[in-house]
Order: sequence, then structure tokens, then C-alpha cells
Amino acid sequence: MQPRRPPLPAPGSRPWGPRPAAPLIALLLLLSPVVAAAESESPQDPGQPQDAGLQRRLLQQAARAALHFFNFRAASPSALRVLAQVQNGRAWINPKEGCKVDVVFSTERYNPEEGEGHLGKCSARVFFKNQKPRPAINVTCTRFIEKKKRQQEDYLLYKQMKQLQNPLEIDSIPDNHGHIDASLRPIWDLAFLGSSYVMWEMTTQFSRYYLAQLTSVRQWKTNDDTIDFDYTVLLHELSTQEIIPCRIHLVWYPGKPLKVKYHCQELQTPEEASGTEEGSAVAPTELSNF
Amino acid sequence: MRWILFIGALIGSSICSREKFFGDQVFRINVRNGDEISKLSQLVNSNNLKLNVWKSPSTFNRPVDVLVPSVSLQPVKSFLASQGLEYEVTIENLQALLDNEDEEMQQNEGQEWSSNNFNYGAYHSLAAIYHEMDNIASDFPDLASRVKIGHSFENRPMYVLKFSTEEGVQRPAIWLNAGIHSREWISQATAIWTARKIASDYQRDPAITSILEKMDIFLLPVANPDGYVYTQTQNRLWRKTRSLNPGSPCVGTDPNRNWNASFAGMGASDNPCSEVYHGTYANSEVEVKSVVDFIQKHGNFKCFIDLHSYSQLLMYPYGYTAKKASDAEELDKLARRAAKALASVSGTEYQVGPTCTTVYPASGSSIDWAYDNGIKFAFTFELRDTGTYGFLLPANQIIPTAEETWLGLKTIMEHVRDNLY
Repeated sequence: MQPRRPPLPAPGSRPWGPRPAAPLIALLLLLSPVVAAAESESPQDPGQPQDAGLQRRLLQQAARAALHFFNFRAASPSALRVLAQVQNGRAWINPKEGCKVDVVFSTERYNPEEGEGHLGKCSARVFFKNQKPRPAINVTCTRFIEKKKRQQEDYLLYKQMKQLQNPLEIDSIPDNHGHIDASLRPIWDLAFLGSSYVMWEMTTQFSRYYLAQLTSVRQWKTNDDTIDFDYTVLLHELSTQEIIPCRIHLVWYPGKPLKVKYHCQELQTPEEASGTEEGSAVAPTELSNF
Repeated sequence: MRWILFIGALIGSSICSREKFFGDQVFRINVRNGDEISKLSQLVNSNNLKLNVWKSPSTFNRPVDVLVPSVSLQPVKSFLASQGLEYEVTIENLQALLDNEDEEMQQNEGQEWSSNNFNYGAYHSLAAIYHEMDNIASDFPDLASRVKIGHSFENRPMYVLKFSTEEGVQRPAIWLNAGIHSREWISQATAIWTARKIASDYQRDPAITSILEKMDIFLLPVANPDGYVYTQTQNRLWRKTRSLNPGSPCVGTDPNRNWNASFAGMGASDNPCSEVYHGTYANSEVEVKSVVDFIQKHGNFKCFIDLHSYSQLLMYPYGYTAKKASDAEELDKLARRAAKALASVSGTEYQVGPTCTTVYPASGSSIDWAYDNGIKFAFTFELRDTGTYGFLLPANQIIPTAEETWLGLKTIMEHVRDNLY
């Protein structure tokens, strides 16, 4: 289990100071516009005022959205990143339009088996459109895995995928006890990469997604050199605690942009009457790197 | 088996310069008289053979154990033969023996107190957990007893372990709640480990001993037995109870929205298909009612701790409102100390704060009910991790999680002991 590291000193040029914001999670709906700088406080402070709390949660939310998008755009299953710590940032809420967030945060390598991951750093501008998914994101991160090494590891993963049995017959990954067989790890990493696209598109300033489990690999053609991968994941949304099955179809080749199509089954909408609802977020999309 | 312990002790202390022992052998040499001893000394003291005496004789007719490196086997054998010294090879390949031991130790790592083969480093069925609770009670009859406090919707028993050092008195008590959300398996697993820990450490660890001298501890490892069985048989990610909802195809109520604390308020749903469905009325779920009835009847609980996963959070009331609880400052300070103690084990960082603003608004929750009913020290732990594995936390993290959580729990319980009201 990787421990969280203490925050790196942030650049001193920001007006609200270089001290790190204590990361907090999830959100309350606020109706009045709030323009505020992030409060800098040590983790020891009790009882923060509400808008500072909201600031922190928005920063966290923005950092996560930015990372989903970054992972998707990098299209590198061996270089996936997760949030380590939010360092500083600022959020502007406009009740009509939505919410704009500038955030600086540190990251770690996703693969927990790697031992001590290097700390990378990212800065992002995230625009959450009022309760609409697919936040607009501009994000840059420091390179903490050397490009050549990353390409090599991607290619290794690609070869491992090619060598796996086709059609693939697997139960869930991880299994119900949280175990991922080493030989199946490439599948999981690739599934996470594709899911990053989905999670980016679905994240709003209130909803936060995690990849819970890969439940089936339906089809896996290898007509040409690309990996063509059709699978189902279960996403966990934290504020509603819902489990959302998503079917994802991706096409990947090392170094090339990722192509993803997906369909998620929304079982119910928050605060509404009963009934099941099937939603397909954004029509089937082929995206290229931009 | 003795050999393993013997070797383990010696290797560590004496043979530090060499790391591998491929093909090295241990000779047991019989020395019958002073003459033979001096011959053997000759052999041992010769530098180039690099022999290592493991056990030297105190009297004659006692064998000497000598470690002979593989390169020296031939010259040593020749010497012994030429001097007429009797010997036998007791270990033919030291490295093989060490490798075996390593494997065994790794296997046993998760079985610290394996009794009847209950592996604390693995996830278990409901039956196995109940059985182990029974074992703990019979292993520690003067301290622990398994008590049935009610039953579930599908009529499974609800068992708690009661830890008490004095009968017949309604001492101030601590309630440890686990497994209310069935998919959060690390909660039930941590709870059963904690049960064994409390029992084993009583009269060994001064902290838990002094806590138990003043207070009783009640531990409910599986607060939602039907849900737990369902996660093992049908759907690993099931959260709620398994009660039927009339008029709806959807099953179950969120048992942690069903308590009588701003019931049906914000952060809960009136839709039976929702994961946070609060149920038809407060305590509609028999699993929740069983606990409520027990605690109210007892009347002397001072602390209520609820174990969940995931997110690595330590929270105190309220969830149903953003307003500060009157004891918020004390609870916050205590929670920070507990989180610090927890982090001291493996560096696992927890965030601390009131439920509503730390995770999300949630009405009808267990700790809010406890707090509003006079149980001041009310906390929720969201255990490991922060989303990498989420609910599917690998079994090899059970014991590390339980061990660090234990320090957090003890910090809280010690404070309660010293601040009884």
C-alpha cells in the first residue's frame, strides 16, 4: 500500500501563497456565486468555514477529472496516474454557467505493484458546465516516466495482450477477493485506460467515479496490428453510491491515440421517481489526440 | 522443526558475510575423547576451509555440529576419514531448508493466531466468521461471550462478541459496528481480527487491559448478514439489506440511512432502487432495530464506532446537517490523534472531519443516531483504500489495515476510558 507523501512546496508565484490546501471530498450544491481564493490551512485546523470546504472539494473534483482526461489523452496504459495531493487552486462558481477551477496537484503511478511511485506534478484548468457532463479540460503534467521507458513498457504490454488467448474467457478482474493475476494485469491496465475516457465524460462537479471491476471481456479481435477490445466495467459513483455497468469498446496501438466507444446503463437518476433509465452519454465517439 | 528455529537463530547472528548456502552441508561429528577433540579443532581452525561450528561439545560423547561450505566438502570428508572420526550428514543442502522455511513463514504470515485454521489474512464466509467468534469465546471464556442480539430479514442470527471483565454490572460500554454495508469486506475482516486482538491482548497490553478493567466492549462484525451472504453468492457489489420492498422490483434498504436521525432527510433517497434508499420508516430494517433495541435497553453506551470502506476517512457527526455538533471540537481533536496513531504504522493517511462536509450529506446514519442519543464518542472509519481497489481490497491488505486501524481504535477507546461522563 503506497503511503501518501507530504505535499511538495508549490510555486511561490500564486497570490494566495504556497501552502498546500488540505484535500477534502464531495460537494454540496451552492446557489450563490462564490469567488474565493483557496484557504491555505494545515491539516490540523478544525471546523473550516463552508466556502473554504466547498473550495477544497471542487479542487479535488477538478484534479480527478483532469487526471481522467490526461490518462485518456496520453493513451499509455503503463503510465497511468492517480491523484496524490491537491496543492493549491482556485474555483469560481457561476450558478448560470457552472464552475471554473484552476488547480495544481501531485500524482502517483497507478500501478500499486510498482512500489514507490515517482511524484509527478500537474496543473489544470477545468470547466464544469452546469450539471452537464464532459468538463472542458486543459491539463499539463511534468513528465515523470521517461518517454523511452514508457514506450518500451507500452510495447511490452501490447505484446503481452497479443499473446493472450483469443477469445479470452475470464471471470472478473480483480476477482472478488481483490486479486489480479499477473498475466491479466495488462488487460486491467488497458481497461482502466478506456474507462478513464468514460469517467472523464461522466464527471461533474458533484459526481466522482472509480473503476470497481472489469466483469467481462466479450470480444477481442486481432485482425490488424491494433488491440481491439470489447469489455464491461462496473463504475462506482461515490455521492450516490451507485454501481454503473458500462460497455466499452476501444482500439489501441502503442503511441497512437486511443479510440473509445461506450454505453453506460444509468439505473436511476438522483432525486427522481422510480423507473429505470438507459442513457448513452455522448453518441459513439471517435476521438483523436488534440 | 527444532532445526528451523536453531538455524534461524544462528544464521542471523554468525554467518552474516555469506548470503547463499547452496550445497552447504551440516556434519554431525562424534568426538569420543580429548584426542579426537583436538583433531577436530585442527580442522575447524584451518582458515581456508571456512568451517563454522554450530554446536560445540561440553563433554565427550556429545556430537559437534559443523557447517561445511560446499567447496570444502571433499577435503573435510577426507580429513575425517583419515583421522577415523565418525560423522553423519544431518543437513544435505542448507539453502533448500532455508527456502522451505521462507515459504512456510510467508504462508503463516496471515495466520498469526490460526486456531482451527482460521486465516485472518483472508476473506471468509458468514459461517466461518460466526464459527470463529464462537472459538474466541471458548478460547477466552472469562472475557468473551458470543451473544445473539436478533436476526436478519432472511432470519440469520445477528451475533456480537461481548468483552467484559466483570459480570452482573452494566458497565460503561463501547460498540464496534462493522459490515453494515455488505460489499465493504475489509470492514468485516478488520472486525474479526480486532475481536481476536482484544481477547489476546487482554492482560498483555496495558492499554486494552485498562480499558477492559473499566468498560465493556461489544463487537458486531457483520451488521448486515443477508447482504454479506449475497455478496458472496450473487453480487459482490451489493450494499443494502435484502428486505423486500412492496410494489417495487428492487430489493433492499440502505441500513445506514435507516436510523432515526433526521430520517428521510438529505443525502438519502425514497426510491427503493437507489443504493441510499432509506426504507419505509426509521428502524424498518430488523438489522438496525436489533442494534437500536440492544443499545437502548443497555442504557450505558459511551462510544459507537462504525467501520466502513473505502476512502480513508475518520469522521464524526453530523451527516444530516452541516451544522456543527456541540462536541465537534473535542471529537475533531480526538479523531486527529487517532488518525495520527493509525498513520504511524504504515503511513496510511486519513482525512478527518464531520461526515456532511467530509464525504457527503447523509441522513439516518448510525453515528448520528448514536450521538443524538447520548453516545458522545461516535465515529465512522472509512478504511482502505482511496479508490485503486476500492471495495475489492486485496486480502493481503487485511492484516496491515487491521493493525493500523487497531491503533486508531485504541486511541479513541483510551480517551473514552479517561473521559467517562
